[in-house]
Amino acid sequence: MRELTGIEEILLVTIWRLKDQAYGVRIRQEASRVLGKEFTYGNLYSALHQLVAKKYIVSTPGDTIPARRGRPRIIYAISPGGFEALVKARKMNDKLWLGISRFALEKERGG
Amino acid sequence: MGSAPRPPRIVGWLLKLAARGEDGFGVLGDFDEEYAELAGARGRAQASAWYWRQGLRSLPRLAGDFIYWRTVMFKNYLKVAFRNIRKQKGYAFINIAGWAVGMTVCALILLWVQEEASFDRFHQNADRIYRLTIDARIGTSQSVPVAPTPAAPALVREYPEILKAARMDRPRRMVVQFEDREFQEEGVGAVDNSFFEIFSFPFLAGDPRTALSLPYTAVITESTAKKIFGTVSPLGKFLRLGDGQDYAVTGVLKDVPRNSHLTFNVLRSFETLVAENRPATENWFSISMYAYLLLDEGADPGALEAKFPAFIEKNMGPTLKSVGGTMSLRLQPLKRIHLYSNFALDIAPQGDIATVLLFSGIALLVLMIASINFVNISTARSSTRAKEVGLRKTLGAFRRRLVGQFLGESVLYSLLAMALALILHFPGLRLFGRVLGRPMAANIFQVPWMPPALLGLAFIVGLAAGGYPAIFLSSFHPVRVLKGQLRAGGGVWFRRVLVVVQFSVSVLLVISTLVVSRQINYAKRKPLGFEKEHILVIPRMSPVLRRSFASVRSELKSIPGILEIGASSLVPGVGIARSAFFPEGYGPNEPQLMDVLVVEPGFFPTLGIEIAAGRNFAEERETDRTQSVLINETAARRFGWADPIGKRFVLRPGPGQQGETTFLTVVGMVRDYHLTSLHQKIEPQLIQYDPDAVRMLSLRLAPGDPTRTLELLKQAWKKLDPQSPLDYFFLDDRFDAQYRADERMKTLTLDFGLLAVLIGCLGLFGMASFTVERRTKEIGIRKVLGSSVPAIVRLLSKETVLLVVVANVIAWPAAYVLMNIWLRRFAYRISISPWTFALAAFLSVLLAFLTVSFQSVRAALARPADSLRYE
Repeated sequence: MRELTGIEEILLVTIWRLKDQAYGVRIRQEASRVLGKEFTYGNLYSALHQLVAKKYIVSTPGDTIPARRGRPRIIYAISPGGFEALVKARKMNDKLWLGISRFALEKERGG
Repeated sequence: MGSAPRPPRIVGWLLKLAARGEDGFGVLGDFDEEYAELAGARGRAQASAWYWRQGLRSLPRLAGDFIYWRTVMFKNYLKVAFRNIRKQKGYAFINIAGWAVGMTVCALILLWVQEEASFDRFHQNADRIYRLTIDARIGTSQSVPVAPTPAAPALVREYPEILKAARMDRPRRMVVQFEDREFQEEGVGAVDNSFFEIFSFPFLAGDPRTALSLPYTAVITESTAKKIFGTVSPLGKFLRLGDGQDYAVTGVLKDVPRNSHLTFNVLRSFETLVAENRPATENWFSISMYAYLLLDEGADPGALEAKFPAFIEKNMGPTLKSVGGTMSLRLQPLKRIHLYSNFALDIAPQGDIATVLLFSGIALLVLMIASINFVNISTARSSTRAKEVGLRKTLGAFRRRLVGQFLGESVLYSLLAMALALILHFPGLRLFGRVLGRPMAANIFQVPWMPPALLGLAFIVGLAAGGYPAIFLSSFHPVRVLKGQLRAGGGVWFRRVLVVVQFSVSVLLVISTLVVSRQINYAKRKPLGFEKEHILVIPRMSPVLRRSFASVRSELKSIPGILEIGASSLVPGVGIARSAFFPEGYGPNEPQLMDVLVVEPGFFPTLGIEIAAGRNFAEERETDRTQSVLINETAARRFGWADPIGKRFVLRPGPGQQGETTFLTVVGMVRDYHLTSLHQKIEPQLIQYDPDAVRMLSLRLAPGDPTRTLELLKQAWKKLDPQSPLDYFFLDDRFDAQYRADERMKTLTLDFGLLAVLIGCLGLFGMASFTVERRTKEIGIRKVLGSSVPAIVRLLSKETVLLVVVANVIAWPAAYVLMNIWLRRFAYRISISPWTFALAAFLSVLLAFLTVSFQSVRAALARPADSLRYE
């Protein structure tokens, strides 16, 4: 199993957090907030399609509201394979950052 | 919230275009939802701005993503299609190969047609170039594509609308010598210098304006130059041609394109002929040169032609009148020479519009049959997948998907066939070139319209082949399809007609092949009245040698292996000379055309021609050279001379000529022999004895390997005629070469016959598999009820055999009529034996039976339990 890319990691965590609210609008807003910049739908969906193809997430049709003018939401959920990948990524991150605090890093940058 | 705020339409529309994947709807919904949220929070203006920004930035990725996944899906479809091919290897192979062969043949024929139609169009002035031809009636009437030698220059002087005129001596084979090397060069002709102002044959070296303005100059083509001179520049070098003269090379031409009716490798200056024999080139009744004219722009050829009678009257009138003949001069457009002229004495064998049309018809027929076969077999094959379709529909497959799958698959098959055809056509080109007797000029990729045309064709036929199963099967009620109630009934009669047509064509071609090859064998084996084997002919003896013929004979006869020696003006198979004579008892207005041959007495024993009555010429009788002639049996019969010896021909002095009437007395009669191929009847012959006119030397060699004799002959010849190199041919080769066109006909019918049989069998195969498929259960029940395997095979093959018999019945009369028309080319011919038809019938039925049994035996052997189980 290959390592997750940064975006994939963000999206997986976001989908997990959002639970049944994990559909396009919310995922995009959350990802934009984490990234600190506008994340476009183009980038969002091409990444989601890849995750589906890798079987990390599955999609199911959800409800709709009038503002969507009849188009149902697509709710994404993390599959067992996706959780496995997330766990692995988390462990890797922990090992990687072990003993390094955020303050130490920022101090270094500030000079 | 009855009306949600509407986002900007343009971006929405663009997004709709880009987001077309499976979840495209969801994406658009997301956009709308967020827009509505923003509009509620910050107002529509801000929301719209966001929508624009977000939309435009997302577009490329959304579109790219869609295309990416489409490609992945397409690869998947391809994988499924290839899996199908692998699963049904036999079917797939037969179907693809058959269609590929059909396309190949069609493409080859189209290439050839295209080449034929392009003849002589590369000349810049092609529209304004004409050839002079004459219709003459002197004794008998004939049309020939040659003109009186002085006519061309006279016409230019007389009529201002004729800009240029050039004469050409028919290119022939000649020995070309450079230093100590000799080459047998085909296509050595002679032309006026103006030739290059009329035609566009570009010079690589030399000056076209002056190259051939002097006697004993010559221009050669690039490849000839390479062959003779290698890398050395040929300009200014001297070539010794077969006439023993040295020619200065004054120019090098680019090789003559294949689609030129004029073909040559070496062109001597016409001035050479003038210098050698000026009176002959100024004689209006020397009619053997081809003449080409370049007319002024806007000149009317019809109006010009109308002026020719006066021109002929002025120059040839009195003489023509004295022999009671007429002659008219005509203009033949250059572009029509190759396809639309059919002269006996053309400068080179030309094409024929009828053949081109015939071949185009064949191409169309082959294409039609092959494509229909392709559609048929695809259809038959797909019916075995009816159950798959039913199952898929039950599981909720969309009809559009199924249609797409079937169409896609058959288009893929068709495209594979096209790829195969593109590969196959390369060896095909070589084969076809062999049939035509000359290589093909271009392949598919060199003709710009061909690849797209083939692609379009493959696509359309692929769609048609997939269309039936796609629309028919996918529309079916799944339950009925699953129950096996699918019946493609309407096509049965169509398929039957197709099989009959295909086999009729095959049988026709098989019969043609048999008849043609039997006739060629007959022509080659029929006793000709002379022995053609072991005769070596030296076609040109110099005047010096002719005068000292006795010493030439004794010199050559001393060579071991040379048995007999004779000389003559012509030998069988190289052409004829025909002239008008007045036999005893015929009036001055009843000239009789006779083939004229000049010999010396040794000619008859050398060729083994028998003297039937009277005697041969005798060297010691001086009067034989001036007053005696021999005739052949046909002449005696024609003139009603039971005893021809002593009969006379009357020679009257021409008008304006002084002198008295003289006579030629018949002293002997030779047995009829063939001076020409069996295409022509033996004509009355008049044979004279004149040592000065016998150019051709015939040597009878001892049977066996002639290498040693040839070696000695070459040495002896060098002593006899140090000037000109030895040129020779074997009489049987030359004589049999007259059947080359017929041999090509044989190859043609054979190749197309095989092809037709192949395609016919493919069609049968398709039909048989269809029938067997349809009757699976019937066969099972029959077996259960005790039917034997042979009985079932018989049952399944009966229809096919019947169809092939019908095809035979249709093909026989057609073949009989067509072959009799073809046989009319021969004055001496076989009669078509009934066995030919029987053999063709036997072969076709056998082949059809074998093809069908491939299917029917398998069906008959199948266990009934298997075929009945699925009910």
